[in-house]
Amino acid sequence: MSAEFFIIFQSTHDVIKAKKALQKAYIAHEIIPTPKKVSAECGMSLKIEKTVLDQALEILRLKGVLFRIDLL
Amino acid sequence: MIYFDNAATSFPKPKVVMAAMENYFFNIGGNTGRSGHKMAIEASELVFDTREYLAELFNIKDSARMVFTKNVTESLNLAINGFLKKGDQVITTSMEHNSVMRPLRYLEQIGKIKIFIVQANQEGIVDPVAFEDILRKEKIKLIVLSHASNVTGTVAPISAIAQIAKNYGSHTLIDAAQTAGAYPVDVTADGLDMLAFTGHKALMGPQGTGGLYIREGIEIEPLMRGGTGSNSEREIQPELMPDQLESGTLNIIGIAGLGAGVKYVLEHGVMKIRQIEMDLTEIFIRNAAKIAGVRLYGPQDINKRVSVVSLNIFGYDPSEVAYTLDRDYDIACRPGLHCAPSAHKTIGAFPQGTIRFAFGPFNNIEEINISLKALNQISKRKE
Repeated sequence: MSAEFFIIFQSTHDVIKAKKALQKAYIAHEIIPTPKKVSAECGMSLKIEKTVLDQALEILRLKGVLFRIDLL
Repeated sequence: MIYFDNAATSFPKPKVVMAAMENYFFNIGGNTGRSGHKMAIEASELVFDTREYLAELFNIKDSARMVFTKNVTESLNLAINGFLKKGDQVITTSMEHNSVMRPLRYLEQIGKIKIFIVQANQEGIVDPVAFEDILRKEKIKLIVLSHASNVTGTVAPISAIAQIAKNYGSHTLIDAAQTAGAYPVDVTADGLDMLAFTGHKALMGPQGTGGLYIREGIEIEPLMRGGTGSNSEREIQPELMPDQLESGTLNIIGIAGLGAGVKYVLEHGVMKIRQIEMDLTEIFIRNAAKIAGVRLYGPQDINKRVSVVSLNIFGYDPSEVAYTLDRDYDIACRPGLHCAPSAHKTIGAFPQGTIRFAFGPFNNIEEINISLKALNQISKRKE
């Protein structure tokens, strides 16, 4: 099983902005409640697989979404 | 019933507005940002989409700089109270609505700010040079003015004023209550710092919706602090937009309707909507001017106004005319001061006020003709 990463945001606005951008680029992702051990800036996070991580991050940077990543 | 009170609130609304509200009510439910389940995500997406539509309409680069409020009055209060500090000086105009005047006068009354008033001419037109005359002598923090008067429909040259403000290191707050959706507003091209708007007029949304755009680089204090669904471990308000200025649960059902309304406006085009409204306005003004005893207010030049027309009939109290129009002709319009006493002083209609007609894209020429006939008959009753 490939490693899973969390993309963590500061606001719901950024979560949805990220979701829409990834959806448009057909990059698999899942919105989940932010795990307690990660931190709780925003209640929602994106779970993403390592194989598409770089591609996803590039899209988010391009879109100007504020985020940081954390390994599960 | 003929509805000519679109400056108070638009009616009818496009069917898609109610459909979007119903869809939220019956099928989406959920609160935004408070949870991570599917219903919450869908609600968050709906709010996000409405923000994006508004950003597209006003040419806002980052929709996170646009926060939702319950109406334009809240937007103006948020901007005025959140931006001004003790000792600041402000310019406004003699055409303003009380939603601008009262928050400013209050701050003046408690000794927090000083206000300079730019006097408009009798048509309600303000000259950008008059702003520059003040800016040259005084340090001005903020210029607040309405994009179009709710009394005369006069459109202010906001682009020129914003440019002058910038030259002197000042800022602009525009009240777009009568223009958002009915007249082009481009915060980027016009160089605006803050834009306050309402959702329930030309944007076709339900009452209880509005918003404020704040340019990046401008910080304002929130009116309220509280839960935002973000930074929940901290007891200090987050500084990130839009959360900083949107504490508490949003009016999601209203925002759903507003989103559908703005989408409707985007699909039809502001200029096309304006064309429909101004064609009717032009015919109304041209023919009303021919009725003996009718005095029209506002600019002669149709390009300098929106579809708001104020008039008086000699010998009549405005409320008498509006009452007769309603009772005998089923025509809804608004008499009085329209919450803008200073504007009426400017145009020479204080304290009696005016009768205001405000046309929308769903009005038609038959309705205009009926109202002209009615005005003609009323004017003859006292001859």
